[in-house]
Amino acid sequence: MTNVEFALLLLAMALASYGCRVAGFVAMRFVTITPRIEAALRATPLSVMAGIVAVAAMRGGPAEWIASASVLVIMKLTGQDVLSALAGVAIIALARWAGL
Amino acid sequence: MSEAVSFTRAGFGRGFRRGAAFGLGVFVYGLAFGLVADQAGFSPLQAFLFSLVVYSGSAQMATLSILVASTSLTASILWSVVALILVINARYVLFGATLRPWLSQVPPLKAYSTLYILGDGNWLMSINAYENGERDAGFVLGSAASPCLAWLVGTAAGSVMGGYAPNPRVLGLDFMLIAFSAAMMVGMFRQKSDWGVMAVAVVAALGVAWLGSPAWAPVIAGIAGGLFAWMRFTEAESA
Repeated sequence: MTNVEFALLLLAMALASYGCRVAGFVAMRFVTITPRIEAALRATPLSVMAGIVAVAAMRGGPAEWIASASVLVIMKLTGQDVLSALAGVAIIALARWAGL
Repeated sequence: MSEAVSFTRAGFGRGFRRGAAFGLGVFVYGLAFGLVADQAGFSPLQAFLFSLVVYSGSAQMATLSILVASTSLTASILWSVVALILVINARYVLFGATLRPWLSQVPPLKAYSTLYILGDGNWLMSINAYENGERDAGFVLGSAASPCLAWLVGTAAGSVMGGYAPNPRVLGLDFMLIAFSAAMMVGMFRQKSDWGVMAVAVVAALGVAWLGSPAWAPVIAGIAGGLFAWMRFTEAESA
């Protein structure tokens, strides 16, 4: 790949990537944020999170299940998100090391 | 909703420190990307520029898998790279939309710079912080900046250190974002009606993943949950 080709590739990738990052923000400019829209916007993150966890559980095995369940319990008990997530990472590393 | 939004150095600092929780995981993934880019024949500078303009681990890795098989750049390769990035990063369209109430109240330059380095973990943290009363948009930029820095340093290090990069999976770091999502989910759960939203999202995500498009799963889950909340709004209001 020549330098010109690489520059062209970079430009195309930059446009695609930044395009995704700004598209939703720009589009919402033309939407009046009514309480109803706000309810939808608030439900969206929760839905994305639930989707991420569900797909990981579906595609993973016992290690993913144990670690995910542990995170939910630790978060419920402590209320500390960073602590809970790091504990989940440690638990899954251990579970995989144990061959689960 | 329309409480005063600020953009301060203190907010940036708070976000930066919170975002640093993702630092190690993102750094190790950066190492892995640098390593793969090196093996695909890209120079350290090229790998770094790659990370600087795309800044999305999954999209960059997938792009490399297309590029590694090609010696020169054809229009068809260029289009497939663009299509791939659009599909994998479609979730950012949703992330940007949900940040509108917050970022639209700061000067455009600040808002659009923040969006440039928006990341998954940083978005989760910011939405959660907003729910808990944070109104300083510097927080969004700060919590985006620390993982982004880790990604760039990781890429540079990985592309020069070659085969010494550790495997993120062995360290459990591939689970970081999932673990964080699970924790945030508990943290953001507010009311009984949230169960319905989550049920709809889970069904949508599993359906899409089962059909073989895991990249679309979080996007479709987000749209399905949001739409569900929108449709039953009047009912929830009267309850």
